[in-house]
Amino acid sequence: MANKLDFLKQFDQLTALFPVQGNARAVIHNGLDFPTTRDEYWKYTRVTSLVESRYVRNVPNIDSIDAFRVPGLDAQYLVFVNGEYSERLSDTQLIQGVEVTSMRLAEGDRKQHMLEHLDRYVDSKTQAFHALNTSYFIDGSFITVEKNTVLSDPICILNISADKQQANNIRNLIVVGEMAKAEFINLHEGYDNAGSLTNAITELKVEQGGDASLYMIQNDGAESAHINTIQVAQEKDSQSKVVTITQTGKLVRNNLNFTVSGQGCESNMYGIYFTSDRQHVDNHTYVDHTTPNCNSNELYKGVMSDRSTGVFNGKIMVRREAQQTNAFQSNQNILLSDKATIYTKPELEIYADDVKCSHGCTIGQLDEEAMFYLQSRGLDKAAAAKLLVQAFAGDVTAKITNDALREKVEGFLHQKFEDQHA
Amino acid sequence: MSDFLRIKNLRASIEGNQILKGIDLEVNPGEVHAIMGPNGSGKSTLSSVLAGREEYEVEADEVMFLGKELLEMAPEERSREGLFLAFQYPVEIPGVSNINFLKAAINAKRQHQGLEDITAKDFMVMVKEKQALVELKQSLANRSVNEGFSGGEKKRNEIFQMAMLQPRLGILDETDSGLDIDALKIVANGVNKLKSKDNAFILITHYQRLLNYIVPDFVHVLYNGRIVKSGDKSLALELEEKGYDWIINELEAV
Ligand SMILES: Nc1ncnc2c1ncn2[C@@H]1O[C@H](COP(=O)(O)OP(=O)(O)OP(=O)(O)O)[C@@H](O)[C@H]1O
Ligand SMILES: [Mg+2]
Repeated sequence: MANKLDFLKQFDQLTALFPVQGNARAVIHNGLDFPTTRDEYWKYTRVTSLVESRYVRNVPNIDSIDAFRVPGLDAQYLVFVNGEYSERLSDTQLIQGVEVTSMRLAEGDRKQHMLEHLDRYVDSKTQAFHALNTSYFIDGSFITVEKNTVLSDPICILNISADKQQANNIRNLIVVGEMAKAEFINLHEGYDNAGSLTNAITELKVEQGGDASLYMIQNDGAESAHINTIQVAQEKDSQSKVVTITQTGKLVRNNLNFTVSGQGCESNMYGIYFTSDRQHVDNHTYVDHTTPNCNSNELYKGVMSDRSTGVFNGKIMVRREAQQTNAFQSNQNILLSDKATIYTKPELEIYADDVKCSHGCTIGQLDEEAMFYLQSRGLDKAAAAKLLVQAFAGDVTAKITNDALREKVEGFLHQKFEDQHA
Repeated sequence: MSDFLRIKNLRASIEGNQILKGIDLEVNPGEVHAIMGPNGSGKSTLSSVLAGREEYEVEADEVMFLGKELLEMAPEERSREGLFLAFQYPVEIPGVSNINFLKAAINAKRQHQGLEDITAKDFMVMVKEKQALVELKQSLANRSVNEGFSGGEKKRNEIFQMAMLQPRLGILDETDSGLDIDALKIVANGVNKLKSKDNAFILITHYQRLLNYIVPDFVHVLYNGRIVKSGDKSLALELEEKGYDWIINELEAV
């Protein structure tokens, strides 16, 4: 693939900050190729144009992040513009037991601590977009929550994608210590960024007995693409929750993976994708149950309109040792247009015999009886449909336990409907 | 001639089956009409067609409601103009709050009338008052629309919604079926309180019992897609006593 080397050449002048970056560059320059639709897990999602594009690098000046803040949210913001940390725009606070650092600026013991975890959980050897990210990220967030620390407010990582044809490799590393509890929001926003690519990786490590929630809000803009990987690594007795809300993006691909290394863990994953125009949103999730007595719960809901496409692939692996696993998965979809498409596939591989696993997927339209009932009370079609879609999404939005963020997401659902029926 | 509701030669088919075969009916303000008739005769079809259900192919010489062509209007417009259907089988809508949806419905109607949205306070006062009218438990008003309601609770919720929306014409499709005696009285009492010289009701029912509480001005028998007999309240008593056979026999004799 001569193309690949040409493509990579445009990034090669970026300085490698950490040894793992050199390793990843070697991997991607050699045998590892970008996926094509011939690869099973990329069958419906065509990324060729993304990895043949010419990108430019530019970090525009941004005066304020007010337009991107979640209204009413009490949180500290860690702000990156096109992958570059902005100390000026960030408002990190000193909180006992929490450290929030730009990867590039990490020094001494802090840097050492970071290198112990960086690139340990995600697979940069066989996944080309991971290798691309690891090779060329120019900065990232490194957040640690100390043992026994319980945070009352979330920490928000705001990634702004600004300007056209940018390729932003976004990197987050979060370590939640033993018995600690914290919520994180990764807010992706964009403006004037047609043709830009966000290629993001979040490694989330939850140590023994810890409890971490991560809300991934994708609002990069209608003309940009987003490839996102979240790798959650849980130790014994820990809990995690990842909620992925895809708002905008011409092409979005999410990989959400959980590995668990001890008993008594719970892993929760929820998502909403509400697509329009020719949007393409692909969610691939993977839970690898390797130890006994763990639970996983998954609920993804899709609403697709116009000529948009959704893809859902939920893989659950229950290995022979993972007895007494409870794994539940559900993917439900509503098609609002007969030109919209959903490809949904559960993928269960179960090798243990004493487990409870269930999965289900549904594809339907809005319930006609309910529509007529609401209309017969005076609501027009759009208002009736909006109520039904909000109700449909409600099972997932209810999992957003932060009120300000939940209201923002509900506001998005509301606005999307208004825009469609304007 | 009345301008309230005038139906002439209304026909409706679904999937090639003609269900309504020419209905004539005139309703004036202040009147209560009862429609009775054997199962499958087309009573619910008539109410669905009037409310605007789209699955039917509908034809008529004329259907006028308050001076407007009813069949030209979308279901929501009919509602905003003052038509209300209490469903025979109210649908459950999980996740949609009864109260929120009613507020949206009331505001849709107010906008249609060129009024401002109802204030939160006025709305709550109205909810309290109408809840009391049909003795609907407060917890039900706050739940998802009909979700997990018992059969009787669903029917009460229909009357509660009717009371909130204050229609000009209320069509009650077997609201009395499945109600216990006390609930029947409460529902009937609710309707009687809503009754005025400006509005009218069409009660679809199988039982004379309801008509003891809500006294009809006219009773019609719908059979095989047509109104085959009309009379006053004594017709209902006669049907209760003798069933429908004598009417059907009369028809066949002609
Ligand atoms: N979708 C449909 N396709 C075919 N036939 C239908 C359809 N819907 C209703 N019908 C038929 O139309 C006829 C009239 O039905 P309708 O529900 O109006 O009767 P009804 O008088 O309300 O009866 P009941 O007293 O049992 O409520 C019935 O024979 C019914 O089977
Ligand atoms: Mg019926």
